[in-house]
Amino acid sequence: MSGGGGEEHEARQTTTTATTTLPMPLPGVSSASTSSAAAAAAATAAGGGRATPEMKRSAVRSLIQRYFHQLQSGCGNAQCTNANCASSGKVAPMTPNEVAARALQLFSQDAQLCENATPTLPTAPTTSSPQQDVDMLSPNDSSSSSNSSSTTSTITSASTTTTTSTQSQSQVQEQNKRPAHLIDLPPVIIDATSAINPTPTIEAIEATAAAAATAEDADACTPTLPPVEFLDAASLEALYEQCRAAENYVRLYQAIGDVFASVERLSKSFICTPGQELKHLPPKPEANALNKEQLRQLEGEHDKDEDSTQRQEEEEEERTRQQATEAADVNEQRSGDTDGDTYGDERNDNVDDDDDDEDEPMGTSRNAEDIEEFLHKGTKVDFQGLRHVKRLLFSSPCQTIAEKLTSSVIQLADYIRYLRFYRQDLWEQVLHCLVICFDMVTNTTANNSVTDMEYVDRVLPKLCHAAAAMPVRAQARLAQIWGEYCPDQLQVLLSSCQQQITLQVLLDEESVRENEHIISVTKVLKIVYYANILASVLERPSCRLPLQEQEEQESAAAVPEESEDLFVYSSMQQPHMPKFAEDPLEKCLQVSVIDCRDPLVPLQEFYNEALSEHIQMHQDYLSYKTLAMESELGSSHTNYFCFMLYAFILTPATKVDALYYDCRMRMYSERYSSLYSILNNFGQDGQEGARPDLKLTVRRDQLINDALIGLELVAMSNPKDLKKQLVVEFVGEQGIDEGGVSKEFFQLIVEEIFNPAFGMFVQQEETNNMWFNATPFENGAQFTLIGIIIGLAIYNNVILAVNFPMVVYRKLMGYRGTYYDLSDWSPTLFKSLQDMLDYQGMDMEEVFEQTFKISYSNVFGEMVEHELVPHGSEVLVGQHNKRHFVNLYADFLLNVNIQQQFKAFCKGFEMVTDESPLKLLFRPEEIEKLVCGSREFDFVELEHSTEYEGGYTEETQIVQDFWSIVHAMPHESKRKLLEFTTGSARVPVGGLKCLRLLITRHGPDSDRLPTSHTCFNVLLLPEYSSKKKLEERLLKAINYSKGFGML
Amino acid sequence: MTAPRRLRKELVDLQESSLKSFRDIKADDDNLLRWTGLIVPDNPPYNKGAFRIEINFPAEYPFKPPKISFKTKIYHPNIDEKGQVCLPIISTENWKPATRTDQVVQALIALINDPEPEHPLRAELAEEFLKDKKKFVKNAEDYTRKHSEKRPAD
Repeated sequence: MSGGGGEEHEARQTTTTATTTLPMPLPGVSSASTSSAAAAAAATAAGGGRATPEMKRSAVRSLIQRYFHQLQSGCGNAQCTNANCASSGKVAPMTPNEVAARALQLFSQDAQLCENATPTLPTAPTTSSPQQDVDMLSPNDSSSSSNSSSTTSTITSASTTTTTSTQSQSQVQEQNKRPAHLIDLPPVIIDATSAINPTPTIEAIEATAAAAATAEDADACTPTLPPVEFLDAASLEALYEQCRAAENYVRLYQAIGDVFASVERLSKSFICTPGQELKHLPPKPEANALNKEQLRQLEGEHDKDEDSTQRQEEEEEERTRQQATEAADVNEQRSGDTDGDTYGDERNDNVDDDDDDEDEPMGTSRNAEDIEEFLHKGTKVDFQGLRHVKRLLFSSPCQTIAEKLTSSVIQLADYIRYLRFYRQDLWEQVLHCLVICFDMVTNTTANNSVTDMEYVDRVLPKLCHAAAAMPVRAQARLAQIWGEYCPDQLQVLLSSCQQQITLQVLLDEESVRENEHIISVTKVLKIVYYANILASVLERPSCRLPLQEQEEQESAAAVPEESEDLFVYSSMQQPHMPKFAEDPLEKCLQVSVIDCRDPLVPLQEFYNEALSEHIQMHQDYLSYKTLAMESELGSSHTNYFCFMLYAFILTPATKVDALYYDCRMRMYSERYSSLYSILNNFGQDGQEGARPDLKLTVRRDQLINDALIGLELVAMSNPKDLKKQLVVEFVGEQGIDEGGVSKEFFQLIVEEIFNPAFGMFVQQEETNNMWFNATPFENGAQFTLIGIIIGLAIYNNVILAVNFPMVVYRKLMGYRGTYYDLSDWSPTLFKSLQDMLDYQGMDMEEVFEQTFKISYSNVFGEMVEHELVPHGSEVLVGQHNKRHFVNLYADFLLNVNIQQQFKAFCKGFEMVTDESPLKLLFRPEEIEKLVCGSREFDFVELEHSTEYEGGYTEETQIVQDFWSIVHAMPHESKRKLLEFTTGSARVPVGGLKCLRLLITRHGPDSDRLPTSHTCFNVLLLPEYSSKKKLEERLLKAINYSKGFGML
Repeated sequence: MTAPRRLRKELVDLQESSLKSFRDIKADDDNLLRWTGLIVPDNPPYNKGAFRIEINFPAEYPFKPPKISFKTKIYHPNIDEKGQVCLPIISTENWKPATRTDQVVQALIALINDPEPEHPLRAELAEEFLKDKKKFVKNAEDYTRKHSEKRPAD
C-alpha cells in the first residue's frame, strides 16, 4: 500500500494531459480524472459487445495513464526487465511532458506493460495535488493534446470528445443556473448505462466486473474502471464482494474515492427508492420516464441551439448525461420543495388539531419509519442500506477500506467547510452528503472496532466544521432530517460530540474558549439539540401562545382595574431575553425547547462538565457583552463566539456564574452611577443622593409590612434601585449585612408570606405545593412583593424555601400553563383528564356526562362553578371536543383563574430581573433549582469540599468527630445544620460542594456554643475536649439558631 | 344548590335502580356533594345488620375520586375504627373518571361481604380473620348486633 499516493499523482497527470480542458480541480473533479477503465478496453479487445464508446475511451485513457506512470515511477519491481519501465533503469530521464508523449506512443504500439505497474492505491484523490500537476502540464495542454491527435486517431477522438463534452457539460450547468466553477463537474466520461437504467450501477459494475475477469484472464492486466458516478448499498456491497473474491480492492478504493469525496456524486448516492423500501421491486419508471421525456425535449432544444455542429453520437451521449444530471437536480429540488411543504403542513397540523391525533406526531411515527420514510421526503438517504454497507466495510479484514473512506470523507468535509456561498439546491446536495457521513459516525457502536473509533475521531471534527459552516437554513434542515429519520442515532451522535469536546478541553485547558474544534462541535450540538426536540413529542397547542385570542382580549380588558396598584412598572417587551441573543436556528425551525416535555434524549446529557469547568465564565461573559454592544451599535461582527448563546452545553452551576456576573455588573453600574450622583450633589442643597445599595430596614414583628412599604417606596421613586445589592437591617440588632442578614430576611419573609394562614397562597393537599389563592384577601401589591422577593433572591444569589409547582417558573418565563402542567400541579386531576382523553368509546357523552361547566372548591371549601365556554353547562364533552375541554380546563385553572394574582407576582419578579438573561440561560426547571436549590443533601460531598482554618485540618480529631456526628444525623438535623451554617436549608445549584464550607478553630475547649458566619458559610468550632461534648454543643446550637448575634 | 350535572344524574339513577344491598340513598339538603346510604350485606357475619355510609364527592368530581366513610361501626379488617375504608377503585392511583358511583358501591359491598385480609387497615382483625376464622365471625356478629342499624323490612 505504501507509495500508492505518490504513484497516483503521476497517474493523474496523464489523465489531465489527455483530457486537457478540465477546469481548476475541485475535489470531485480530481477524483473524476483518476478514473480508469481498462476493463472496458479489455472487453473491447475481446470483442465484448456490451462495452460502450465511453468505456473504450476511458479504457484508453487509463492505459495511457499506466504507461505514463510506468515510465515515470516504474512498477516497483527491482528485477523488472521492461525497457519502458522506470524500475528497470532503462528509461532515460524525461520531462513530464516528454513522458506523456512517450506514453501515448507506447500505447499506440501496444507496448509491454508491467503487471505490477498498476498502482496499488490508484485513486485517493487529493485536493492538494493540483498545484504540481498544473505546473507541469497545464501550459502545454493544447500541445500535448495536438500531439496526441497526431499519434493515434483513437486518442484524438477520445480527447476531443471529452473536451467538448466537458464544455457542454458546464454549459448545461450554467443553464441550470449553477455556478459551474464552484461545482465539481461530473466525470469526464460517464457510463452511459448508468444514466438510463434506473438501477444502473449494479449492472454497470457487473458488466465491467465480468469484463474485468476476462481481462485478467486474457492479458493479466489489472482492470481499470470508469469513474463511479454514484453508489448505492447494493452496488457497493456487490463491488465489495467481488473485490473480496478477487482479493483485490483497487476498484473498491476507487469507487469510494470517486463518490465519497465528491459532493456531487455522494449526493446522488444511497438514495432510497420506493422499490427498495417495498420488497425490492424494481422501481416504477413511469413517473421518472415522463420527466425524462420532457427533459429530453428541453435539452434537445438547447443542444440544437448551442451544439448543432456536434456529431450525432456525441449528442446522444450528451443528452443522456444531461438527463442524468438534470433528473438528479430535479429530484433534489423536488425533494427540497416538498420538504418545505411537509414542514409547513406538519406545523399546520399541529396548530390546527385539537383532536387526539396530536399525540402521535413525529415521535411515535418512528415505528412506521420504514414504510413512511420516503413519503416524508425529508431526506432520501437509504439509511438501512447505508448502515448495512458501512458495517460490512468497516468490519472488513482489509482495513485500508475504512482508511480510504475516512480520507475521502475528510476531503469532502474540508470542501464543504469552505463553500462560501448560498444556493438552496447545492445545500440540499451537501445535506445529503452530511447526513450520510454523520450517519456513518453514529453507526459505530455496533462493533465498536478500532477502525470505527478511528473514523469517528478523525472524521467527526471535520464534519462538524463543515456542518457548522453551513447557513442557518441548511442547519435547520439537518436538524429536521435527524429529528425525523435518525432519532435513534441522536444519543450516539451526542455522546460522540461530547467526547470530542471533552477531549479537546483536556488537551487545551487554557484556551477552551478559542478552540475552534470545540466551537464547531458545540455548534453541531445545537443542531443535535434541536433535532432531539423535533424527534420528541411536541406539545400542541404550544404554551408559547395564548390558548384563545378572546382570552387575551379579556385580559387586556382587565388591565385598567389595576390602576390603583402601588407598584409602578412598565414591563419590558421581552424580559429575560436580550434581543440579539435570539437563536436563529430556533427561529428558523419554529420550535422551542419549551414545547418539549419529555425529550427523547434527556437535556441534562447536553451538559458538558469538562467544558463547563474550564470555560472561565467571566471571559465568556465579556464576549457576551461585546456581542450585546455590537448589536446595539448595529454592527454585526459575529467573530465572537459566546457559549452563553449555547447555554444547553453549560451546567447549571456554570450558568449561575454567568448570571452572577451579569447581576454584579448591573449592581456595580447602578452603584457607580449613584456614587457619581452623590459626588455631584455634594455640597449642594442638603438633599441626599441615591444610596449605592438597596437598603431595607425592617422590624421582626412587622416584617411583611415594613418590607412592603420599603420596597414600594423604592419601586415608586426609582425602580432601578431594585437592581442594586440588597442590604437588610433588622431594627435593634447588630450584624452587618454581608449577605447573611439578607439571607435570614428572605427566609423569614418567605415563611410568613407562604404561610397558608396568611391567605396569599394555598397549600395543595396532594403535592404540598403552594398555589395562588384565587380569592385573596390582600390586594395585588403583596403578590408583587413576593415576586420582587423571588427576583431579589435570584439576583442576590440566595436560595429560598419555596415550594411552587413547576408551572410557576414556566409562567415566570412568559409561557402559559397548559394541560401538561397539571401533572405536577394535581397528579390525580391530570390522570383523570388523561383517562378521559384516552377514552375512545362513542358513548362518551353518556359515560362522562361532563359539560363545559367545571367546579372547584375555593379556599373556604365551598364549591365554585365556572363555565369554560359561554353556556358551557349545555355543552357536553364528547369525542370531538374532549381535547378542547381539557385544554380549556387547564387554562382556566393555571392561567385564567389566578390571572390577577399572577400578573402582580410576575410584575414584581420582572422589576428585578427583567434585564437578566434568565430565559437565555435557563430552562424553567433550572430556574426552579436556582430559586430553591436542589432538595437532597449530600454531606459527603460537603465534607470533601470543606476547608479548615485556625489550626484545624481534615486530620484533626475534632474535625473527624464532627463529620462522623454529622453523617449520623437524621435528615432534619442536617437541614438545621445547613441552615445554621449557611443561613439556608436548601442546597445551592451545583450541590453542597458549592457551599465552600469553612470550619475554623474557635479557641480551645470551652463551654461556648459553635457559631457561624452565614454570609461566608463559616462554622466556628471551639476545640471541645470530647466527641460527646461536641455533639451536645452542636445540637444545641443548631436547635436554637434563629436570630442574629451571639449566644 | 348546584352540583355537577353528572352527580345529580347518578343520584337519580342510583335511587331509581333500588338496589337490594344499598338503600336509603340521599344527598344532603345543603350539599349535593355529600351523600348517605345504607349498606345491607348478604354474607355472614354482617348479614344481621345494616351500615350507614357517607360518600363525599370532591368539587372536581369526576376528575377526583369520591371518599367513603362508615358512619356505623363495623368489625372488618378493611375498615378502620374511624370508619375509613380502603377501596382500590377510588384510590387516587386507580381512579378513572368514567367510574360511576354504583360501581364504587358494588365494589364496597363486595368488600364488606368478602374481606380482603391481604390489604388490611386493621392488621389485628386481618390476623384473626386468617388464623381463627371462627373467632373472627363470632366477634363480628356480636359487634354487628351491638352497633349496626336495623335491616329494612323487605
